[in-house]
Amino acid sequence: MWLVLFCGSVEAQKVLRWGADPSGGAPYVFTDPANPDQYIGYEKEMVDALAKAMGRQAEFVPSDWETLVSALQRGSFDVIVNGLEPTGDRAQQILFSKPYYIFQLQLTVRRDDNRINSIDDCKNRTVGTLANTAASRLLEQRGIPMRGYADPVAAYRDLELKRIDAVIFDVPAEAFYARNNPKLKPAGAPFTRGLYVIGLRKGDDALKAEVDAAIDKIIFDGTLETILKKWGLWNEAQVEFQAPIRSGTQSTKVEEYTTTNATFNWREALWRLTRAAAVTVLIALGSMVIAVVLGLPLAVGQWKGPSWLRGLCTLYVEFFRGTPVLVQLLFLYFGLPVFGIAMPGWLTALVGLGLNYAAYESQVYRASLEAIPNGQWEASYSLGMGPMLAFRRIILPQAFRIALPPMTNDFVSLFKDTSVAYAISVWELATAYRELANASGQFLLLGVAVSAFYLAMSLPMAHLARLLERRLRDRALERVEEEEAPA
Amino acid sequence: MIRVTDLRKRFGNSEILKGITFEVPPQTVLGVIGASGSGKSTLLRCLNGLETISSGTVEVETVRLEATLSHSEYRKRVKDLRLKVGTVFQHFYLFPHLSVVGNIIEAPVHVLHTPKKTAETEASELLESVGMTHAARRYPGSLSGGEQQRVAIARALAMHPALLLLDEPTSALDPRRINSLRALLRTFVDRGHTMIIISHSMGFLAGVADNVLFMEGGVAVEFGPTDEVMKSPQDARTKDFMLSADSTD
Repeated sequence: MWLVLFCGSVEAQKVLRWGADPSGGAPYVFTDPANPDQYIGYEKEMVDALAKAMGRQAEFVPSDWETLVSALQRGSFDVIVNGLEPTGDRAQQILFSKPYYIFQLQLTVRRDDNRINSIDDCKNRTVGTLANTAASRLLEQRGIPMRGYADPVAAYRDLELKRIDAVIFDVPAEAFYARNNPKLKPAGAPFTRGLYVIGLRKGDDALKAEVDAAIDKIIFDGTLETILKKWGLWNEAQVEFQAPIRSGTQSTKVEEYTTTNATFNWREALWRLTRAAAVTVLIALGSMVIAVVLGLPLAVGQWKGPSWLRGLCTLYVEFFRGTPVLVQLLFLYFGLPVFGIAMPGWLTALVGLGLNYAAYESQVYRASLEAIPNGQWEASYSLGMGPMLAFRRIILPQAFRIALPPMTNDFVSLFKDTSVAYAISVWELATAYRELANASGQFLLLGVAVSAFYLAMSLPMAHLARLLERRLRDRALERVEEEEAPA
Repeated sequence: MIRVTDLRKRFGNSEILKGITFEVPPQTVLGVIGASGSGKSTLLRCLNGLETISSGTVEVETVRLEATLSHSEYRKRVKDLRLKVGTVFQHFYLFPHLSVVGNIIEAPVHVLHTPKKTAETEASELLESVGMTHAARRYPGSLSGGEQQRVAIARALAMHPALLLLDEPTSALDPRRINSLRALLRTFVDRGHTMIIISHSMGFLAGVADNVLFMEGGVAVEFGPTDEVMKSPQDARTKDFMLSADSTD
C-alpha cells in the first residue's frame, strides 16, 4: 500500500536533474555561506522557476565545469545550467535551448596597474580565466598567453599576488568576486555580448521543447526579471533581449550575438603538450635535486644526530610523509603568500615536491647507511681517517649503491607525481591533458599522446639507473681468477 | 718502544682488562694468546683507540695515552695514536667499492696528503712484497680470504705504522697458507716492523713471535720469551691451555 502511494507520487512529479559546478560558482550556483548544506544562486532560483513551469521537481547534481558536457552525455543529469555558451564545437556534441541571459566580459587588473586598459594591452602578458569558456577562447584567438583556472577565486588571488597580469571573466562572476576587492579594478568597460543557454543531450528534443517553453514563460511573466534584479544582474542588455519576448512579437535573433568557437588542431595541441612536458621535466628534475640534497642531512641527522636534532628530523619526515602532497602544494601556493612569499606555480610545485620527496629519500639513505657494516667505520678510523672523511670516502659511496634502486623507483614516481601541480594551475602534462581533452573531446587520442610523453621521460631514466647499477655490481662480482700457485 | 702499563678496561660493571702491563721492543713480535673471552680482542681495540681505556697508559713511541687526560686531549692523542698503529682486522674490512690499489692509497692520499703518484708507486712496492701485484686493479669482492688478508696488510703498512696489529690472522687460512703468512710476517719484522699478533694458536705464534703474553679472564697470566713460555710454562692455566691447544691445532 505504502509502496504504491510512494511510486504514485514520484510518477506525478517528474524530476529535472541539472548539472553545474558550484565550487567558486557564485553568483550562478554556490554553497550558501550561511547555510553550508544548501546551494543558492540566480541560476538555482531560475531552474526552480523553470521546473515549476514544467511541472517538475528540480534536482541539483554538483559537477565539474570542465567535465559538464561528458557528464551530461553519460547521463549524470538531464540538463546543463551553468552559464553555458552555445559554441560551435559544443553544438556538435549537445543540443542547446533558447538563450536566457546576455553576458558580457570584464577585464580586471590590480588597482595600481596603469599599463592595461583593455584587452588590446594584454599582448605578451599572462591573463587568467576559466578554461574552456568564451573568455579563454577569446584569449586564444588573440594569441594572448592564458592561464587556466578551475574557479574565479584562485584566479583573482593570483592576480593580487602578481602571479598573473590580468583576469577576464563573465560579468556575473566578476561582479561577485572582484568588483568590491580594494586591490583590484576593472580595466575598461564590459565588452562583447554572448548568450547563456541550457545544454541538453542530443535527441532529447521533447525535453528541449519543454525547456524552451518554460524559458519563454518565466521571461514573459517577469519571474526571471525578478530573480536577476534580486542578484543585481538586471541591465540594459537584458531589457533589449527580453523586450521582444515580453511583447510577444518575435523571438530572439541569436545571430546578433557573439559566439566563440574552439578551434582544435593537432599541431597546436602537440606543441602545447611539448611545452607542458618541458615544464614537467623542469619540475621533476628540480625537485629531484632538492630531494637528493636535502635528504642526506635529514638522514644523517636522524641517524647520528643529538636527540633534539633527531627529533626535528623525524618530525620533518613524518609531517611530509604523513600529509598528502596535494595539501602541501595548496598550502605553499595559497598559504605562504600570507607571510609575503608568493612563488609562481611551477616553482611552488618544484619546491613542494622537493620537500616532500626529501622525506622519502632520507629514509632510503638512512636504511642504506645503516646497512654498511660497522667494520667499515673501524677500518677507516684505524687508518687515521676522521669521521667526516670516512663518511664521505668510504661509507657514502657504498650506501649509494644500496640506495640506487629504491631511489630510481622514487624518481620514476616523482615524474608522475608532478601531475598534482595541476591543482595550482601549472601548465604541466596532466593539466594540459585535462584542458585540451575537455576542449576537444579527444580524451582517447590525447591520452595516448600524454602517456607517450610520460613514458618518454621515465623510461630513459629507468634505463640509465639500470646501467649504473649494473656497472657497480659487475665490479663487485668480477670473476675470481685461479688462485696463484703457493710461494 | 711500545709500552702498556696497568691497562684496565671496564664495560659498565664488568672489568674486561684487569691491569695489563707489557713492553714490545722495536723490531720484535709479541704474540697475545688466550681463549675466547680472555680479553685479547679488547686489548687490541685499546691499542688502536677503538675503545677508550678506563685506567693505565698506552705508549707507542712518542704518543702517550692516559686514562686521566681531558676528553679533548684524549681524542687528540687517539688521532695521533691511530697514525702510529696499523690494524689488520680478523675480517679485513677492505673497502669493497675501491680497487686493491684504491684500498691501499686511500689513507696515504687523503690523510697524509701524499701525492697520488707517489702513493701508487709505494702501493705497487707493497703489493709486490705481499705477492699481490697481479690483483692491483681488481676489487676485494673477487679475492679469496688469503688474498684479502695480504691486501689488508699492505693497506695497513702503507701508513708506515710504528706498530702493526693483527687480529686472529690464521682464522681464514688453510695450513699451507698459514706457513706462507708466517714467512711473510717474518720478512716484515726483518725490515724493521714491530707487531702484536692476537691468536688462539700457539703453533702459529711459535714460529713468528719473539715474546708471548698469555691472557685469561682479563689478566696477563704469563709473559716471556716464546721458547720459555712454550717449554716450561710457569702457570698451571698456561699449561692447561697449551695441552688443549696442542690437541686441536
